[in-house]
Amino acid sequence: MIEQFTQGVAMAMRLDTVALMSFGLFAGMLVGALPGFTTLMAMAILLPISFFLDPIVGIPFLLGIYKGGIFGGSVPAILISMPGTGASVATSRDGYKLTQKGQSRKALDMALVSSVTGDTISDIFTIAMIFPIAFLVMQFGPPELFAVLLMSLVVIAATSGANPVKSLMMIMLGLWLSFIGTDPLGGVERFTFGSFDLKSGIPLLPMLIGVFALPEVASVVIRNEKARKLTSLVGDRLSWPELRRCIPTIGRSTAIGTAVGIVPGLGQIVAAMMGYSAAKNASKHPETFGEGELEGVAAAEAANNAVNGPTMVPLLTLGIPGDNVTAILLGAFVAQGLRPGPQLFEEQGATVFAILVAMVIANLLFLVIGYLSIPFFSRLVTIKTSILIPLVIMFAFAGTYVYRSDPVDLLMLVGFGIFGIVARAARFDVMPMVMGFILGPSMEYAFGQTMAMSGGDATSFFLTERIGAFCVLLATPVIGFLLWKRLNARSVQA
Amino acid sequence: MLKQTLKTSLAAFALAAATIAGSTSSARAEYPEKPVTMVIPLGAGGSHDLNARVITSIMPTYLNQGMIVQLTPGAGGQKGTQEVARAKADGYKLLFTHNYIDMLQQYVENLPYDPMADFVPVARVNYAPTSVIVRADSPYQTFEDLVADAKANPGKVQMAHSGNWGAFFVPAAQVMQALDISLNLVPYQGGGPALQALLSGDADVTMAFPSALGEMLRAGEIRVLATAGDKRIYDDVPTFSEVGVEGDIGFMHRVVLAPKGTPTEVLDTLSAAFAKMFEDPTFIKLMNRLGESVDPLTGDEYQALRESQATAYKGLVADLTSN
Repeated sequence: MIEQFTQGVAMAMRLDTVALMSFGLFAGMLVGALPGFTTLMAMAILLPISFFLDPIVGIPFLLGIYKGGIFGGSVPAILISMPGTGASVATSRDGYKLTQKGQSRKALDMALVSSVTGDTISDIFTIAMIFPIAFLVMQFGPPELFAVLLMSLVVIAATSGANPVKSLMMIMLGLWLSFIGTDPLGGVERFTFGSFDLKSGIPLLPMLIGVFALPEVASVVIRNEKARKLTSLVGDRLSWPELRRCIPTIGRSTAIGTAVGIVPGLGQIVAAMMGYSAAKNASKHPETFGEGELEGVAAAEAANNAVNGPTMVPLLTLGIPGDNVTAILLGAFVAQGLRPGPQLFEEQGATVFAILVAMVIANLLFLVIGYLSIPFFSRLVTIKTSILIPLVIMFAFAGTYVYRSDPVDLLMLVGFGIFGIVARAARFDVMPMVMGFILGPSMEYAFGQTMAMSGGDATSFFLTERIGAFCVLLATPVIGFLLWKRLNARSVQA
Repeated sequence: MLKQTLKTSLAAFALAAATIAGSTSSARAEYPEKPVTMVIPLGAGGSHDLNARVITSIMPTYLNQGMIVQLTPGAGGQKGTQEVARAKADGYKLLFTHNYIDMLQQYVENLPYDPMADFVPVARVNYAPTSVIVRADSPYQTFEDLVADAKANPGKVQMAHSGNWGAFFVPAAQVMQALDISLNLVPYQGGGPALQALLSGDADVTMAFPSALGEMLRAGEIRVLATAGDKRIYDDVPTFSEVGVEGDIGFMHRVVLAPKGTPTEVLDTLSAAFAKMFEDPTFIKLMNRLGESVDPLTGDEYQALRESQATAYKGLVADLTSN
């Protein structure tokens, strides 16, 4: 094992690997930064290219696109409050506030450093603990997933605002919106009023751009600041004392993200929200979260990137892809004659370790590439608002349309934009709604699976066979109440 | 080594560039004079997506035009299918789908299109036969053991599948119908999670395609009890026919369809291009690398299969939804 590892390290140190990985990282970052384009599409399109490359070049190339793309998504989230994926929703909350304060460069630097740190630590942890993780992954089935998702929603409700009743109402609204369309288990149409366009449900992208970006556009327009710039300066780079202050947060979020990555089906969105909630809960000044707190950016970005290491484990040890990104990687592995499965490490250990080491190198490379690109990106906000705002509107509409070329999505974008403006005026936070909407389908599916597994008698099923999941369900309201009380008490003091 | 890799990467980029730039080569007013879009009614990263990426990188050589993949998932495949059904029948918008979306859904739901009246098959690319699998430590040594247990304890055996009315649900239901047994069907979001449920012990039995289970089989983690069709895939494993399940059961056919009313010349051009591509050694090599086979059928041959699927699925759905 050790010998294969050292061999793998030697194999990964190749100029062409580094060159193509850098290209992948840069391309991924650009694609990820454009709303409506997803990293997944970029990976699928470029997959055939990797067939013609050496495994230690082709697979790191794809991994580079993936890693670059995740960071790329946080660029529009921070600069123009336009999160392109659910994973960057938590980032945009404090990131955009920092941009408004003229500290966009700091926010982007923080996002980069914490992404890379979270990713690197979780990758190293994964390499060292790959077989224990593989064992842990097997302990989670649909009942456990349901319990953990329900707990996540309760934690979000308890920690996201001063008023948990308002948060709960918004979560309920989000859950209801996610129920619109064809029921994923039974195939029954719900709340569609016979409209075919609603049959496939409400897509995520118009909601994200509508409720987060359009209200910001509206507020600039209403204030009529056409000659001014959104902010006159891009601000300084991140300083060492600021980074040092965030180190505990980055560490906590990395641990949370890694743990979330082990549970199949949770993913980056839950990790980012949990990392953010935990940082807010641990902070001595929770009231600064949501008002432009660097720690908020660090918490979300470290957590959503730390998910990446463990999600590779079922792919490498069992040959089972847990999501679409790993499915594409499986295609790339198989095309290279590497057959992920129980014997991969015995037979191809050196190559696999080389790929894993390349993942770590990719992170370090990305620190450099990202650091050099950030000044270029952050200049965007110094454009005059009379030019920037039309640009943002164009990106909002073009991004929404390009995702699946359906004009109905544009109507939804406008609808959610209006809703976002009204909700803001009424002092309702839209984030719990978006989280309810995103997590709703997974939770519903897990619930349906649990009911199917139990043959309709879920109570005795939980008690006799799924005691772990049952305990999580019992503890959930208690955790929610304690978190809310604690945060509430501290906000009042401050 | 470096030089060689560089060369192959350059070649690969050139290939990609050619795919994108393929549109400039032909200027005659003859089909195809612009790139052809292939709509996939499924999500990114799935087996159809990966198959299509190989098709679109080879097709321009034979069609003299680029081919673009458009993923339009939603409503269990209906969204993308509807888009092609409503498209102009000029051969510039094709559908890359499978038999369950194509022929089964019409009996489960009210569709905004009529698959038989709105589409004509262009070609079948390949098909995948399912295998019934259990863990290596399972008490079921043979398919008969499984059937016997299911008969003795109706609805108790947990069968994981990849989603309702999907590629493993339908054959499972057809097996239940043919042998008069009852399994507890638990849906998972795809074949991967279903296989994981089998390995973790949540499920007693599941199904898988050969490309997905090769490694698990080699490592001795699972046992195959039966495979679809009437030709043995593994020497010591019986086929569905041998265990009493007859017919076109357990095959997922990946097919390219065109809107009905597409001019015959256009269909001929497309069929010819597909036929030539299926012979292309690079195409075969790339498909094999993905773990997929190449088993072409012409549009007419597949149309006969579609008609028999329609009859079989109609009976199946009527049977399943009657109680």
